Amino acid sequence: MRLIDTRLVMLAAGTLLSISKGVCAADAQGFAPDQIRLGAELFAVNCSPCHGPHMQGSESAFDLRKFPPNQRDRFLNSVTRGKNQMPPWGDTFSPEQLDALWAYVVAGER
Amino acid sequence: MRAIASAAIVIFLFCASSFAQTLDDLKQDGNGGSTDNILTYGMGYRLHRYSPLKQVNKLTVKRLVPVWSLSLDNNWGEQAQPIIYNGIMYVTNAKATVAIDVATGKQIWKQTLDWPPETPRIVCCGVSNKGAAIYDGKVFRTTLDAHVVAYDAKSGREIWKSKAAEWKDGYSMTGAPLIANGVLITGISGAEFGIRGFIDGWDPQTGNKLWRRYTIPARGEKGNETWPQDNNAWEVGGGSSWITGSYDPELDLVYWGIGNPAPWASQTRPGDNLYTSSLLALRPKTGEMVWYYQFTPNDPFDFDACWEPIIADIDVAGAKRKVIMQLNRNAFLYVLDRTNGDLVSANAYETANWASRIDKETGRPVETEVAKKVRSGEEVEMWPSTRGGKNWPHASFNPETGLLYAPTMHRGGIYKHLPVKDRVPGQRYQFIENRPTPSEPNSAIGHVDAIDPLTAEPKWRIPLTDHPIWSAILTTGGGLLFTGKETGEFVALDVENGKELWQFQTGSGINAIPVTYTYQGRQYVTVLSGIGGLWWNAAREQLKDKVPQGGSVWTFALFPE
Repeated sequence: MRLIDTRLVMLAAGTLLSISKGVCAADAQGFAPDQIRLGAELFAVNCSPCHGPHMQGSESAFDLRKFPPNQRDRFLNSVTRGKNQMPPWGDTFSPEQLDALWAYVVAGER
Repeated sequence: MRAIASAAIVIFLFCASSFAQTLDDLKQDGNGGSTDNILTYGMGYRLHRYSPLKQVNKLTVKRLVPVWSLSLDNNWGEQAQPIIYNGIMYVTNAKATVAIDVATGKQIWKQTLDWPPETPRIVCCGVSNKGAAIYDGKVFRTTLDAHVVAYDAKSGREIWKSKAAEWKDGYSMTGAPLIANGVLITGISGAEFGIRGFIDGWDPQTGNKLWRRYTIPARGEKGNETWPQDNNAWEVGGGSSWITGSYDPELDLVYWGIGNPAPWASQTRPGDNLYTSSLLALRPKTGEMVWYYQFTPNDPFDFDACWEPIIADIDVAGAKRKVIMQLNRNAFLYVLDRTNGDLVSANAYETANWASRIDKETGRPVETEVAKKVRSGEEVEMWPSTRGGKNWPHASFNPETGLLYAPTMHRGGIYKHLPVKDRVPGQRYQFIENRPTPSEPNSAIGHVDAIDPLTAEPKWRIPLTDHPIWSAILTTGGGLLFTGKETGEFVALDVENGKELWQFQTGSGINAIPVTYTYQGRQYVTVLSGIGGLWWNAAREQLKDKVPQGGSVWTFALFPE
């Protein structure tokens, strides 16, 4: 009985793990690779001078890898209108480019 | 009636002259003129940032206390050097120009600037301003959105405003102007955005442009052959001029350092890329170039050559030479003959692995494999980093000791060129990856150095383990060295050994330019506090919970015995 219980627990855990992996994969796959690539290119030219190459580096203005992935509106608002020392970029990036930047920030380097 | 009229004329002339600085006044600034005034950026045309004042000295500095402080109501950061004339101090930042009563610290007038909020996008290294110029009753400054403005020194009324360039194309202005032989001279920023750099000469009375010296020659002009002839690299090739030059009135030559070529990634611009990363000697009346010296040909590192060119007459092999000295960002200290640009000496003052030495015959660096790898697109560990062996914070030359006193940097970079793409006006035009090398805890990442100009050997060096110094250095006849820290301390060191003798916490980071002067017989020391600039961008995560923002002016004097 104890053996069965253990198997059941392992089975349940495995199922949960599979589901969890599936959800994560779906999140990451919610952004097309081309979209993430475009975001990376835009980031490298316009954002990396302050936020570090690939969002890395001990000397950067704000570590964007820590940006909450469920706060898309906050991200878009900050980029388009500016925040603190960051100037507004609303007239530079198209909606598609902003989505690409968001895709890169959420899924490009984490 | 006639007597009354005459008296009125005399009074008028006195009042007018009390606000009218002559060219002779400017020549004598820091060179035998009244210590009540500071009329030029650099505390004299030679840019010594040295004062003979000695009321505040090694023995009395313990009594140095703040006598007033004034808020500048600005969070962008303070980098400026104050200008002082007849008891009035003129201070600038990116947002405003302020006239202050030296005696009381009270604000006399303030003129604010209103640039578009997008402008900081085209500012690479801090939304700032380094100071004003003063001449003939007018205060002159540059603006972030690339204009030059003249105010009436007494009232603050705007007299003229002229546009130098279009900020949307990547041009900005943060430097202090220079008045030389009656011409107002200004530089430009924007090499990180693919501008074509220049230096402008303006009529101080009207704001009319008298001349423009492009730092990159056009097709058909001498020097353009050092750029590719099959593309337009020269038109977008950088060559900023964002730090104020020096002036030798006797030779009538202005010396102005020119910045890096664009883009930093060098594959589209083979050749020496004149006159980027060079020093130019110009006639102030016409902008005519008399000589040049290029420090880093085909600069692929962002090494620049903008830093202050310091004028001195020093002994070289038993003979007095008219020289100009620059602690170049490429980690070598150059001494040139300022009459003709000939190389006198060039020795490393900081760690360099991109070049082994400077060839004394050709004046060119002898590059290493590191430089070749950078140009081929390989990732390298490069020393110094792109911030250089020294960044903009100015050195002082102390004629009493014959030494240069400089805030230096000891840091390498992990650096790589990326493929170059077409320039988009107003967007970054660099195409590199750049990270600092990891450093051991408590290891030196910078120093305050006392350096022999000819050998580049330090007489002493004080290591800094938390942050480099991003404040300029002032030395005095009292045997003191003043500078500031990013963590807010304004400090006085002993020029003989670098020992710290005094400090005061100013409440925000210091990345500005201290000065000293007299008023009614009392010596004052002033510095701006207000964290900003490049290091605030880079170290914000480290500093944001420790060092608050906010600009202010701090003025100190001795507490009476």
